[in-house]
Amino acid sequence: MRMERLGREPEFSRYMDLKEGWLDRRIFSDADIYEEELYRIFARSWLFVAHESQLPRAGDFLTTHMGEDAVIVTRQPDGSIKVYLNSCPHRGNKVCFADAGNTRRFVCNYHGWAFNTAGELQGMHEEYCYDEGDIDRKKNGLRQVARVGSYKGLVFATFAEDGPSLDAWLGDFRWYLDMLLDNEEGGTELIGGCIKSVISANWKFGVENFIGDAYHAGWTHDSGCRSMNNGQPFPPIDMENSYHASVNGHGWEFGTEGVGDLFLLGRPKVMEYYEKMRPKMADRLGTMRSQIFGSVASASIFPNVSFLPGISTFRQWQPKGPMQFELKTWVIVNKAMPDDIKDEVTKGVMQTFGPGGTFEMDDGENWENCTTVNRGVVTRHERLHYRCGIGRQIDHDTLPGIVYRGQYNDANQRGFYQRWLDMMEATDLGAMPPRPEPRLTGIAETRDLPGLFAL
Amino acid sequence: MNQTTTLERPRAGAAASLEVSHALTQTLYREARRLDDEDYAGWVAMLADDLHYHMPGIETRYRRDTTDQVTDLTRMAYYNDSLDEIKKRLTRLETGTAWSEDPATRYTHIITNVEVENTDKADEFRVFSNFYAYRNRNERDEDSLIGNRIDIWRETGGAYQLVRRRIILKHNIMLSKNLNIYL
Repeated sequence: MRMERLGREPEFSRYMDLKEGWLDRRIFSDADIYEEELYRIFARSWLFVAHESQLPRAGDFLTTHMGEDAVIVTRQPDGSIKVYLNSCPHRGNKVCFADAGNTRRFVCNYHGWAFNTAGELQGMHEEYCYDEGDIDRKKNGLRQVARVGSYKGLVFATFAEDGPSLDAWLGDFRWYLDMLLDNEEGGTELIGGCIKSVISANWKFGVENFIGDAYHAGWTHDSGCRSMNNGQPFPPIDMENSYHASVNGHGWEFGTEGVGDLFLLGRPKVMEYYEKMRPKMADRLGTMRSQIFGSVASASIFPNVSFLPGISTFRQWQPKGPMQFELKTWVIVNKAMPDDIKDEVTKGVMQTFGPGGTFEMDDGENWENCTTVNRGVVTRHERLHYRCGIGRQIDHDTLPGIVYRGQYNDANQRGFYQRWLDMMEATDLGAMPPRPEPRLTGIAETRDLPGLFAL
Repeated sequence: MNQTTTLERPRAGAAASLEVSHALTQTLYREARRLDDEDYAGWVAMLADDLHYHMPGIETRYRRDTTDQVTDLTRMAYYNDSLDEIKKRLTRLETGTAWSEDPATRYTHIITNVEVENTDKADEFRVFSNFYAYRNRNERDEDSLIGNRIDIWRETGGAYQLVRRRIILKHNIMLSKNLNIYL
């Protein structure tokens, strides 16, 4: 797609020095930078738009946003998924006002232009008013995104015609994603419905919190942890056997103790379920990943999806201006789980990481104040410190990605902002460097990675 | 409209006696005062052991859509709690580290449109009400949460205890950063 703003000389590298470990505060509130993010990041990234389980039948649809662009995601009669703008080509009105449902067509309320679920213009109210040559129906369908792809249940779309494939975009992060998406036969599904809330903060604060900020958890969420677990404090962090891993701006921070996040959920039955399953998980994903799953961990997919493997909250930070985002919260469960375990997980997530959750309640206020205070005309020129653990990078035989030792670290945050900078400055997405060089090249399944079962 | 919405409430039943109606209306006001005052011990004392406290998340859907967004307890909900689960949430406030409650949030619950009905059980009453819960904190954070409630209250030893509450918030996107409040 044509993006006229990309012609401008990019100068975004002045907003950070990641080798030194600092960021310029203006990226969290500046309106011009935010506009460039919409063009350079959101209009060019692979963005999460749906989970396959939300659209089981032909005609199922949901509405969401790619950046600030409203889109409809629909299941086609042939089982494929289409994504197109929720905007009539006639005057631009929305053609669908529901969050989700099932339909055979979308009809614009304004002049009755009707589209099938493939987004093709089928007809208009009082069509006789158009003379021959006035309108070519084929050219006046709902504007399709450039590409749609899916990875183990997660559906992504992009407005970028060129640029990396979804597999290349996710790269070696698939090794980590499989701990969430493929830890049991049958894969995952989202629990019905979606909880949405508004936080007056920059969208990046949510993403960076989940991508690597284990550090805040024991302090910010002391009250949440104690309330869910009979007064017990956060499990101690083992800085020797916990890690940050960053791949192409995605990030997963994790321990290897296997139980921390499950403990925080405060649901003994869920803990038992996974403990019974763990040997099978080891057969499926290798010992290392079976030990990581359930540990204190959090993760984000670049640019704006986050989740807690083990706690099972799955969420998206939708930008709404430089100083506001909408948070969409779902619960992700394994399809094969018995109903009572799904119910336990759902209740556990909403008691911890719903808007009324004992953990979630203490996050929003921090991010709002980080955003508004950073905007002060003097304050905005002060640097922010992102240097924690900057010397702890390691090579690891089993763990792919840019790996740092010690879960209390700013490494994944630095990896996220490096990718932010790559995209803000790239005129050709294909020329962006992989970060790091992938190990999974030519391997369709992360289970097939050589050496996986060595540990 | 030939299709109703799935958010329709139960049809009105027989009105309770003036005496019971008055007592339960006063009970709702007392409950609201305790919540305004953060007197959670006093509030919990008004809750029955078999409490079910439910506030479903409501998506925007077309009228023809028959998805049960209200009574299907497997769907996403802000609250879907037993008494023990409510108590567990409340212990957060006793830790001394609930940072976003210090300074304290300032609450006002306004309860209106109270209707009290008899049920099949002589000691249980259905109570409809509307709420307007206003929150203000720090300098200028403010939220208004508005909606309906349907309760079942049970008479025990001259007082009433809340057995079931279903809360329908009128927001689609909750216009607030969190929900540190009971409605």
